Amino acid sequence: MNYPIWDVAFGAGLLIALVAGLHVFVSHFAVGGGLFLVLTERKARRTNDTALLNWLKSHTKFFVLLTVVFGAVSGVGIWFTIGLISPTATSDLIHIFVWGWAIEWVFFFIEITAALLYLYGWDKLDPKLHEWYGWIYFIAAYASLVVINGIITFMLTPGSWIDVHKFWIGFFNPTYIPSTFFRTAICIALAGIYALITASVQKDLDLKARIVRWGALWTVPALITLPLFGWWYIRKIPAVLFASARGPMPTATHYAFLAWSLLVVTFVLTLWALLRPRHLHLAFALVIALVALGAMDSFEFVREDVRKPFVIENYLYDNSLYAASMPGDGGFTIDNLNTVGVLNAATWVQHRAVTPDNQVAVGREVFRVECQACHTADHYRGIHQLIEQRQWDPATVHAMLSGLSLMHNGIMPPFAGTDAERDALAAYVNSLQTITPNPATFTDGKLVFENNCSMCHQDRPDDMLFTGLDPNPKVAADSLKDLTSLFPLMPDLKLSEAQRTSLVRWINTQRPASQHAANQPAANRPGTAPEGGN
Amino acid sequence: MINPSMVPTLDPNPLPAPYWVFKLLLLVTFFLHMLAMNFMMGGAFMALAARFGSKSSQYRNRIFIDVAKKIPTLLAATITLGIAPLLFVQVVYGQYFYTSTILIAWPWFFVLILLIAAYYGFYFAAYKGKRRPGAAGFVLLASLALVLFIGFIYSNNVTLMQVPSHWAAKYFANPSGWNLNLSEPTLIPRYLHFVTAAIAVGGILLVLLALARWKHDREYARHLFRFGGKAFMYATMAQFLVGMWFLVSLPRDLRMLFMGDNTLATVLFSAGLLGTVAAIFLMSDALRKDSIRVAAYGVTGLTAFIILTMVIMRDILRDAYLEPYFHPHQFPVHTQWSIFPLFLLLFLGGVVLWLVMLKRYGLFTSTKPTEL
Ligand code: HEM
Repeated sequence: MNYPIWDVAFGAGLLIALVAGLHVFVSHFAVGGGLFLVLTERKARRTNDTALLNWLKSHTKFFVLLTVVFGAVSGVGIWFTIGLISPTATSDLIHIFVWGWAIEWVFFFIEITAALLYLYGWDKLDPKLHEWYGWIYFIAAYASLVVINGIITFMLTPGSWIDVHKFWIGFFNPTYIPSTFFRTAICIALAGIYALITASVQKDLDLKARIVRWGALWTVPALITLPLFGWWYIRKIPAVLFASARGPMPTATHYAFLAWSLLVVTFVLTLWALLRPRHLHLAFALVIALVALGAMDSFEFVREDVRKPFVIENYLYDNSLYAASMPGDGGFTIDNLNTVGVLNAATWVQHRAVTPDNQVAVGREVFRVECQACHTADHYRGIHQLIEQRQWDPATVHAMLSGLSLMHNGIMPPFAGTDAERDALAAYVNSLQTITPNPATFTDGKLVFENNCSMCHQDRPDDMLFTGLDPNPKVAADSLKDLTSLFPLMPDLKLSEAQRTSLVRWINTQRPASQHAANQPAANRPGTAPEGGN
Repeated sequence: MINPSMVPTLDPNPLPAPYWVFKLLLLVTFFLHMLAMNFMMGGAFMALAARFGSKSSQYRNRIFIDVAKKIPTLLAATITLGIAPLLFVQVVYGQYFYTSTILIAWPWFFVLILLIAAYYGFYFAAYKGKRRPGAAGFVLLASLALVLFIGFIYSNNVTLMQVPSHWAAKYFANPSGWNLNLSEPTLIPRYLHFVTAAIAVGGILLVLLALARWKHDREYARHLFRFGGKAFMYATMAQFLVGMWFLVSLPRDLRMLFMGDNTLATVLFSAGLLGTVAAIFLMSDALRKDSIRVAAYGVTGLTAFIILTMVIMRDILRDAYLEPYFHPHQFPVHTQWSIFPLFLLLFLGGVVLWLVMLKRYGLFTSTKPTEL
């Protein structure tokens, strides 16, 4: 709201996913592949393997054309897109880390020069000198990863930087080291996978087999270490954040599943290629690469998702509001917006007051500045689909806007603004509804749960919904009449009598037997702690 | 309608070094970016002029291939040297820069796609120029068109970032980023000013190639020299017209900066003009006397100097445009002493290593022209 919002109907976030998703797959290859080039060159020279050396020459060309062109430009592309989509975060990061980036640029400059000289020097330089360029290339490329990794991990785990604002504290943050290992392993694995691609088109089958075996020797061990480093990495992420990927947040959960399973598939496919190295087909090599791409991007998406609702954890929300007031925040905090209103605080809005006539238009603007960082009206994470799927009527929508920060393990920022602005946002969201929801007809308890409770509550025995509800069905159903009196932050949903009864009935069928017992008044004898939980 | 409230506020994080450090780095790296860009774009113009315009059937394809082979490397330099000013412009002018890019978001985003396409096109021409000069010529033409368009998008962005008063109308008319800055009167002359300079520098590229071939292939080198020298002269003469057009398109108070209102700007402007006239005479003299060294060292040095004056003037102009909003002393500064010296060290070390790399490759000592 400090900056204008680039209004992309299908979701600007998808552009970041596209640009960054392709970039990481090439840039990690650019690092691991560099080491692969020099070590393979050395191996080929030591064993006098001219065929391997000739292949390596053509592989170098492939390498340079891919990394120097696509890799470099897509890297610039990430800059372009984050500046367009998260200007506030980009500005923060630039001012915090510009010297890190400047250092990375020095390495990048060396890297590009060395890559070109290595490529053009194949037929010109003596072997020792040629390998020297290869080493410089690899060291510079690796150094640029080591630098950029500090900034990327900072966004997820800024650690005590939040209190002290010191460069190195932010840089060597809690996930820095595991992430360095994790990404190094990815680089090595990709070096082998890309080698399979150019190997697969070789006519000399013995050569092909040699390269496939050699490539697999890079990929297979690296893939084996990935779960280890991944586990270490996850352990360094605060558990409450990573919990999002364990169910409550649909996207993070799906991608976490995909990351692990595609990793396994990559592993199996690489072993398969190794079984019949002389017969590796280009299509098969490309499939391996694609699956690896899927695994890698899934990991990146999980990393980005679990820090939601923040771009910089605990510092800046995705919608560019600061988590806490501080000097220079420009008034862009939840508290300030709650006091003065969005329309007053935001720079880039057209409406400055809500009137009965402009409610929907104002709501559209509030949506743009507060929600559109992650949602669209009816495409990616489309609100239209979300409310329709859950059959929310206008009153439900309105009530739910109070509970945003509780939903899905707290992955959304709270609504910030005045009551009138919230009404306007609700009016806009409701204007997206194209069906006539009739929630009163939903008397299937499970559906009532899914449509109204599942955003915040989980179908797990240790959830408040199960532990906190009165065991007496009648009392329980009555208590659901006024949710805010049960827990002040709950949205003030109005369920019908039938809905309440069926919901309670369903909840009771979901409880484990132990909880039934634990919830019986008679069972609450001193000394027998309720067993609920896991 | 001036609505200063449209300028976003600074973020809470202080500048991690004094303002002038970033300004200096911005100017130095942008100057290098411009040098590389001029050689790259100018080289493409020259390659095409040779391929499609040269009367000498003997050298037509030879010049084309000779130059086309250099372009991918020059584009790599343009991009690599563009990243640094991209970083530093955000440090200092982020509030303006992010906003204008968002207003022209789609064209800005397409820069990436155009750039990748142009890049591969240039590589195609470099690798296939010999075997398929016809196809390579057209691909190179297409790539040149793409980089010309990229430069145009940059000019749109840079001119738009300087005029916050125009932002609101543009954004609210089209918040989805389908804008350019075509209504800006200085846009076209400013952009043509860059393109014309690139053509002139393309001429210099030929002169430098001629220098490298002077010993071994005098006849061809002389042809290159003539071709490039003339291109430089004609383009630079045309630059007087384009430059004047640019100057008169500026709002009066800004134009007067260069005519007395701002001493530095006036001095630079005069020096630039004098340098340009001198460069034309020097080149014409060198051509007449067949003295490649005067052209290769003298004119090149002079031209680099002129570009430097232009880069500084461009900066003065931007700050004058932003005068109502932008006040460097308002930046809170908190120098990061724990990392800033490390950058300086690595930067110097990087330059040294870079030179060593070029030297060991034989770029400085070769008796034979080195192929890059
Ligand atoms: C084909 C490629 C390119 C061409 C032809 C080109 C050309 C230009 C031109 C003509 C300008 C000046 C615009 C004006 O002042 O009106 C400019 C500015 C700029 N270019 Fe490039 N450019 C290219 C690629 C890049 C790339 C890839 C980057 C970054 C990675 C970049 C970074 C910049 C920056 C940051 C500025 C503005 C600096 C400032 O305003 O101080 N350029 N470019």
